[in-house]
Amino acid sequence: MSLITIVQESALQTTAQGGAFDPESTQQLFANTFTGDAARALAPMVSLTVGILVLLVCELFEGLKKIRPAVFLGAILASAWGCWGLWQHTPEIGAPVRVLGGTLLVSQQVGVWGMVFLAATLVAWMQARKYYRQEAPFLGEHDVLMLTAPIGMMMMAGAQDLITFFIGLELLSIPLYCLAAFRRVRNDSVEAGLKYFVLGAFGVAMFLYGAGLLYTATGTMSLPELRQVGEALESPLARTGIALMLGSLFFKASIFPFHLWVPDVYQGSPTPVTSLMATGTKAAAFAFLLEAAFLVPVSAATLIGVLAVLTLAVGNFGALMQKDLKRMLAWSGIAHAGTLLFTVAASAASDGLLSAEATQAAVLYMAAYVFTAGGAFALLSWLEADGEHHTTIDGLRGLGQRRPGMAAGMTLFLLSLGGIPATGGFIGKFFVFGAAVQADMIALSIAGILLSVVALGYYLRVVIAMWMQPAKDGQAPPMAERPWAAACVGFCAAMVVAIGVLPGFLSGSTLFP
Amino acid sequence: MSVPTEHLLILSAILFSIGVAGFFIRRNLIVVLMCIELMLNAANLAFVAGSRHNAFLAGQDQTDLEGPIMVTFVIVVAAVEAAVGLALVIALYRRKQSVDLRELTELEDGSHA
Repeated sequence: MSLITIVQESALQTTAQGGAFDPESTQQLFANTFTGDAARALAPMVSLTVGILVLLVCELFEGLKKIRPAVFLGAILASAWGCWGLWQHTPEIGAPVRVLGGTLLVSQQVGVWGMVFLAATLVAWMQARKYYRQEAPFLGEHDVLMLTAPIGMMMMAGAQDLITFFIGLELLSIPLYCLAAFRRVRNDSVEAGLKYFVLGAFGVAMFLYGAGLLYTATGTMSLPELRQVGEALESPLARTGIALMLGSLFFKASIFPFHLWVPDVYQGSPTPVTSLMATGTKAAAFAFLLEAAFLVPVSAATLIGVLAVLTLAVGNFGALMQKDLKRMLAWSGIAHAGTLLFTVAASAASDGLLSAEATQAAVLYMAAYVFTAGGAFALLSWLEADGEHHTTIDGLRGLGQRRPGMAAGMTLFLLSLGGIPATGGFIGKFFVFGAAVQADMIALSIAGILLSVVALGYYLRVVIAMWMQPAKDGQAPPMAERPWAAACVGFCAAMVVAIGVLPGFLSGSTLFP
Repeated sequence: MSVPTEHLLILSAILFSIGVAGFFIRRNLIVVLMCIELMLNAANLAFVAGSRHNAFLAGQDQTDLEGPIMVTFVIVVAAVEAAVGLALVIALYRRKQSVDLRELTELEDGSHA
């Protein structure tokens, strides 16, 4: 029973009683809706919302501007605490708990996804410190927008209802449209924002139209009820709706053939924002894709698997062509989305039997990817600290002699992106392809693994440029000291190694006991 | 029902297709934004038609509020999107004195910003 139905019934009851307001039934309604579980599910989002409000108040008073970083970090920590509670204290035995009239899921997965989103936000925010020059007066707005996005991601991950998901999607997208165009005196930033906005709005419209068709065909927008409608999901109308919705989600997750916006938008946006888009948005889209994988008919699972391989191929070969490291990371992000799509294919192919394994693999992959790609982008934003791009691969030549620490960090991140053992990237790939093999998608998995090897080609090219090729005369870019960015890189590197060498720390059966 | 659900869905499909076609054909950003609005309203029509259809299937005197509630949310979000979109268009106009999509050429494969 959805929240709307409850409200509707209570309204009808009131009308039946001659329109008299009945405090007792209203109280009952509230008591049934806002339970302790609901409070636990909402705690991470409410902490972030409080953080946003405090930040906005800080903007008003000159003296309070100094405490902005503390407020931001406090909100993230409080929210992470809430997510930790969801992860550690939700019993996985028994029926899944849904709160607020069945619109929001309370589960360990939601808690872990929440922490992944918060990590992505934290990494993006840390590298944004002292990144902006001309835009520095607007940093308050920047922080507020950046804190809004994870609320939307959490809503997407926990949504059990298409309405909730849609609101989450917009809560994530709209701040990112603004952030992408944040450096509005620069042509490339404005262009990235506009491209992202126009195509994003198109994707949302496609999702809504698909949801409308699905709703007309089945009579419900709630995921648990959609699981039960059975044959109504197989009508042509419902199938069309599902296809449109998947297309829109593939757009957000940058899956072939909806990936063309990615390189332009990633290159033009400010690097910290690119980091948030590449890690957070992708994680949120996949969190919901896995939750809604049951909508995909089993017969279409192979198609999804083929799309995954195509995405991997397109991303990898696109990255091979690039001379700019930021753009190369964008193409490599497409390839990583292709790898992640294997989890959705595995879940759909097994008719939901493998959905727990698939979700776990995706969470692990994203947890590693947040720190790997986030760390690489943090290094990039450190390199372009003086406001200009020094991110061509040629510009990185000789970095190993000039700044061995930075070069070592970048090497670690690139090896992890390539999936070398003892890094987090390897663990993620291992679990993802493990789930795909369990779902009997052997041929597609082999193709995927071979394509992942191709990826090493362009990652190693950068490593060689950094360590073995001397800088061309006069091409060594200037360096700025950026303690926040350095801390961010160190944090990411530590997490990549931790996830890589301590698989039991985050993985195996301990993730969702 | 005096107007069958099919007719409403066909109308909404036509509106949606006009929106999609315009989105890909037109080059003026304001017109592109209008096309997106048209697509959103086609979706709204589908939601309302679905709500009526499902209420009718459920029997006499039944209502299905899920669709109309989604429509309210969509209208609100469409307003937000229009605000952000127009702000971005103004930002572009300030830089290029034009709102033509063909002006967006800074970022391409091989370009070094």
